[in-house]
Amino acid sequence: MDITPLINGLDSIPGLGLVFQAIGYLVAVLPPNSSSIMAQATPLALAALCGVLCERSGVVNIGIEGTMLASAFTAWVVGVALNPMFSADPSPIFGLTIPLVLALAAAILVAVIVSALHAWLSISLRVDQIISGTIINIAAAGVTGYLDQLISKSSPAGAGEFAQFTPPAALTNLPVVGWIFAMFLDQGPIGMSVIVFIIGAQIWLFRSRWGLRTRAVGEHPRAAETVGIDVIRLRYRNVMIAGMFAGLGGAFLSIEATNSFQIGMTNGRGFIALAAMIMGRWTPIGAFASALLFATFLQLGQLINIAPPGGDLGVAMSAIPAQFFDAIPYILTIVILAGVVGRSIPPAADGQPYERESAT
Amino acid sequence: MITRRSRLGLLAATLAIVASACSGSATPTPAPPSAAPSVAASVAPSMAPSAAPSVAASPSPAASASALKIGVVTDIGTLNDKGFNEYSYKGAVDAATTLGAATPPSIVPKDASEYKADIQQFVDQKFDVIVTVGFNLTNDTVAAAKANPTIHFIGVDQSPICVDPQGNPDSTFACKGDAKTLLPNYTSLYFAEDQAGYLAGIVAAYASKANIIGAIGGTTLCASCVRYIQGYELGAKSIKPNIVVKSSYVTHDFSAAAFNDPAGGKVFAETFIKTNKVDVLFQVAGKTGNGVLEAACENNIYGIGVDVDQWLSLGAPANACIITSAEKHLESAVNQAIMAFAGGTFISGDQLYNAANDGIGASPFHDKASLFGPEVQASLDSALAAMKAGTLQTCPTTGCGVAP
Repeated sequence: MDITPLINGLDSIPGLGLVFQAIGYLVAVLPPNSSSIMAQATPLALAALCGVLCERSGVVNIGIEGTMLASAFTAWVVGVALNPMFSADPSPIFGLTIPLVLALAAAILVAVIVSALHAWLSISLRVDQIISGTIINIAAAGVTGYLDQLISKSSPAGAGEFAQFTPPAALTNLPVVGWIFAMFLDQGPIGMSVIVFIIGAQIWLFRSRWGLRTRAVGEHPRAAETVGIDVIRLRYRNVMIAGMFAGLGGAFLSIEATNSFQIGMTNGRGFIALAAMIMGRWTPIGAFASALLFATFLQLGQLINIAPPGGDLGVAMSAIPAQFFDAIPYILTIVILAGVVGRSIPPAADGQPYERESAT
Repeated sequence: MITRRSRLGLLAATLAIVASACSGSATPTPAPPSAAPSVAASVAPSMAPSAAPSVAASPSPAASASALKIGVVTDIGTLNDKGFNEYSYKGAVDAATTLGAATPPSIVPKDASEYKADIQQFVDQKFDVIVTVGFNLTNDTVAAAKANPTIHFIGVDQSPICVDPQGNPDSTFACKGDAKTLLPNYTSLYFAEDQAGYLAGIVAAYASKANIIGAIGGTTLCASCVRYIQGYELGAKSIKPNIVVKSSYVTHDFSAAAFNDPAGGKVFAETFIKTNKVDVLFQVAGKTGNGVLEAACENNIYGIGVDVDQWLSLGAPANACIITSAEKHLESAVNQAIMAFAGGTFISGDQLYNAANDGIGASPFHDKASLFGPEVQASLDSALAAMKAGTLQTCPTTGCGVAP
């Protein structure tokens, strides 16, 4: 899709030149990198989905960062421990091996356990939910850091990692739409499953009985209780199921995106996901779109760095400090959260512990 | 009711903080028997043995043994990080072994706020030599050196030392004081990264078929990263004058993205490879760079490691495409500095380690040796010889260490 002549023609219009150059640059660089954008969005989208499911049922979970870190570490450790025991070659699709699948399962299990802890603290004990999430973040950073220090001493070989699926070139080279196929198909198993989970959760949350109850519990738990919904049990279930997605996001970091664990490797993604959740107005698809938007600007910042635009635009941009482009995704988040796109209203009972009337 | 609940939460929060404080952090080797109890008391007893590699290793000193007490404060992370901390510590251990001194205890700070206290622990125990590893410890090391003129401090990669006329760390970077005379008990070992990069560039030029090679640095603010890449470019062009050298920096600040985000580094490198069509990629970005190397291997191009021999340190399968690494000989430098002190010739101020004193080098090709004919080694050898003779330009005359 070569629109350079068109862009050049439009360039001659004074003042508009820069705008058209910018559009031309975006069209030139973003689609070929769609699969990288999706890879950046994957952990954010999964973590944001975790946030949506928790908060829709009325439990604030700022411990997503810690949950992801714990899962990333678990996946890596289990992979490292099991790898020597199985010698089978990885399967041609996704590079699946038995240790990898078990590592993924263990990561999800740990995430569910950590989420269960959060649920117990915030639902049963009615601890301040922010404090409970903070505990998880601090403890996860500490415990994984300490254990990593012990384990890395023995210089383990890698845990292995899921391989990316390579879609047929005939598909990804299609004009105009090829990049969309590359975006969703040129991924590992976790990256590819994100869109399925997002759409599934959207339907589940807004079209199923459980989803309706979840939203009712998040908006007005006492009313929900009066029609016979077990608020406590539903919240427990939702928080734990949500935890599975955070676990998936964590495992993505250590056994799909890379083949290593680093102390603090989540690098704030769990918090950015919370912003994506709010930007997406507490809906799975909205959260996914926000994560994608954030990842796009992250990628754009890198592209400006790797392949800066030429022409007048390049000259104009070189006057701006490079740090600004690194900061764009975060600036964007603040601007959007500050209400540019309209008000984003949380579930009414979000963050409020529920106490049965009879329980006192 | 509420009060009871929140108290429980508070308790849990406290426990979590305690757990995190014990982790990955200050775990000094329990000091030799004669040491003051202060160190031991500050460490949870159950954790000390497992996290202190040198306890069991320290034999009782032989009769002729040196009484020199050497302590190492590393940067945050882990002692066995296959990088700066590990090799600097090894250098101290080597020196102690040669001298017959006690195996040096080490402290790994948990975060930057602990540097000062960790250095002070060794000061309080009257150690003779304290090695501090990494640029981040510069200010605390300088302050400790000023406060304790009888103790000798060896800083790894803390150059250029910048002090005010009183010998205090100079936060304004005016650097009016002469560190060499103001702090005769402090030295900073620094390295000619551009020379190491130059050697890597030579190898890259030979390995490249596309005639386009690349380098990814952690941040533009890291002068040593920039020097590596500047040397790399000159080295490659010394072999193939028309080779294209592309370079980018992951970020422009000192955030975690620069050196501690392998997942981010991998995505960055994938975009970089796709955009620039390089077939050799040099990483100068720490742990973020390990993601860069992964991307290189997955895209079937060659990777070049940094600081230490990453073919060895990463191990299989991560090292599958690594052809060489641009090395700083941290182990040798720390060893030399301690031996110099023991021999009574402590050199204060900035101390450069380069080709002339075996401070830098290129790692062996390992399993990639078959890729390179004898002319590659010959080029490396002649470049090294020219560096030793001081006749080889490995960094631009203007703007060396300054990102474009």
